[in-house]
Amino acid sequence: MKNKKKYIEIFIKSFSMDEKKFNEKIKYNDIPEWDSIGHMTLMSDLEEGFNISIDTDDIIDFSSFKKGIQILKKYKVN
Amino acid sequence: MKIENNIKLWSSLGMRATFGMIAIELAKKYPDLMITTSDVSTSAGLDRYKNKYPDKFIDVGIAEQNLIGVSAGLSSEGFKVISTTFAPFQTLRCCEQIKVNLGYMKNKICMVGLASGLVLGNLGFTHCCIEDVGTLRSIPNIAIVTPSDPFELFKVLNEAIVYKNSVYIRLTAGSNTKIINNKDYKFKIGKAVEILPGEDVVIIGCGNILGNCLEAATALKKKKIQCAVVNMHTIKPIDKEKVKEIAKKNKLIVTVEEHNVLGGLGTAVAEVLSGEINNCKLVRVGINDFYSSGGSYEYLKNIYGLSVEKIIQTVLSNLKKNEK
Repeated sequence: MKNKKKYIEIFIKSFSMDEKKFNEKIKYNDIPEWDSIGHMTLMSDLEEGFNISIDTDDIIDFSSFKKGIQILKKYKVN
Repeated sequence: MKIENNIKLWSSLGMRATFGMIAIELAKKYPDLMITTSDVSTSAGLDRYKNKYPDKFIDVGIAEQNLIGVSAGLSSEGFKVISTTFAPFQTLRCCEQIKVNLGYMKNKICMVGLASGLVLGNLGFTHCCIEDVGTLRSIPNIAIVTPSDPFELFKVLNEAIVYKNSVYIRLTAGSNTKIINNKDYKFKIGKAVEILPGEDVVIIGCGNILGNCLEAATALKKKKIQCAVVNMHTIKPIDKEKVKEIAKKNKLIVTVEEHNVLGGLGTAVAEVLSGEINNCKLVRVGINDFYSSGGSYEYLKNIYGLSVEKIIQTVLSNLKKNEK
């Protein structure tokens, strides 16, 4: 993924995470910040960061960092 | 949109995030939609909406009286308006504006009260909201609807936006809400839904606490007690015909609500029964008119008799009293 650095940065910003604590195995609800409200903030930040509009079904399906990479491919974010 | 096919997934998002998602769908459908808020775009799951439709989003700041005033003004100019903030501030802080601008002047808006009931228990009763239904129920021309889960919220918002009067939509529970509706069904404001049949006792509930009612009914079934569960999502106008029908066929009704037992669902049911000749006992479970100390959601539900175990105990003890 060419945009991986930016993708990680968005995660860290959305959840106000400590960079050192971030890992790519993170899933929905793994940390208190990634609850349902945090999820909507993440979606908003991804849409803004990559200038895309994520479909409702994909927002619901976006269950982990890794799943997110697959979903973003649909929006030509590689 | 495939919401009907994704009920479980939607429920995992909880009420507030679902509200944010539905707002975007409504904005696509209604170009004249405006959403107003008092400083809660993130908490209401509205960040995406705000970014997508900056011209259709007004944050009045922490000034709830203005929230209603501005919303009513937009409504009078022909906009469809949804206002939102946390439930105590959406209803009590701006109560006079609701009475005058919405009830009396009949400007139509939809008010979404976030995190009502006991879910914000750790913040104490400044943020818990157990008085909103009782307060608004006394103001004419305002409907009050408490969706049971995110799937029902989708239906409520789609109906409320075109409903004839202002609607207060009371959201309960946090994320990972219990799934109340496992399959699609016909929803109409003012029409109750029987979600579990039974003939020994009927639990009438509203909001996500219906999850506890369903669990209690399932446990009672193992004790050979057939307990029906009715989703009375609309508290005003209440489904009088359904209440009368239940009272005719049953000897015990238990109302369960995340609200003061004075003024809420139980009171509304009692008001219907008071005009009828019947032999049906009504037991009201909810906050029994006192403020406890703050605590977790589960802790408070237990204190106020709203846990699964306490609901079971209430049903059993009142069935026994009825037998005597």
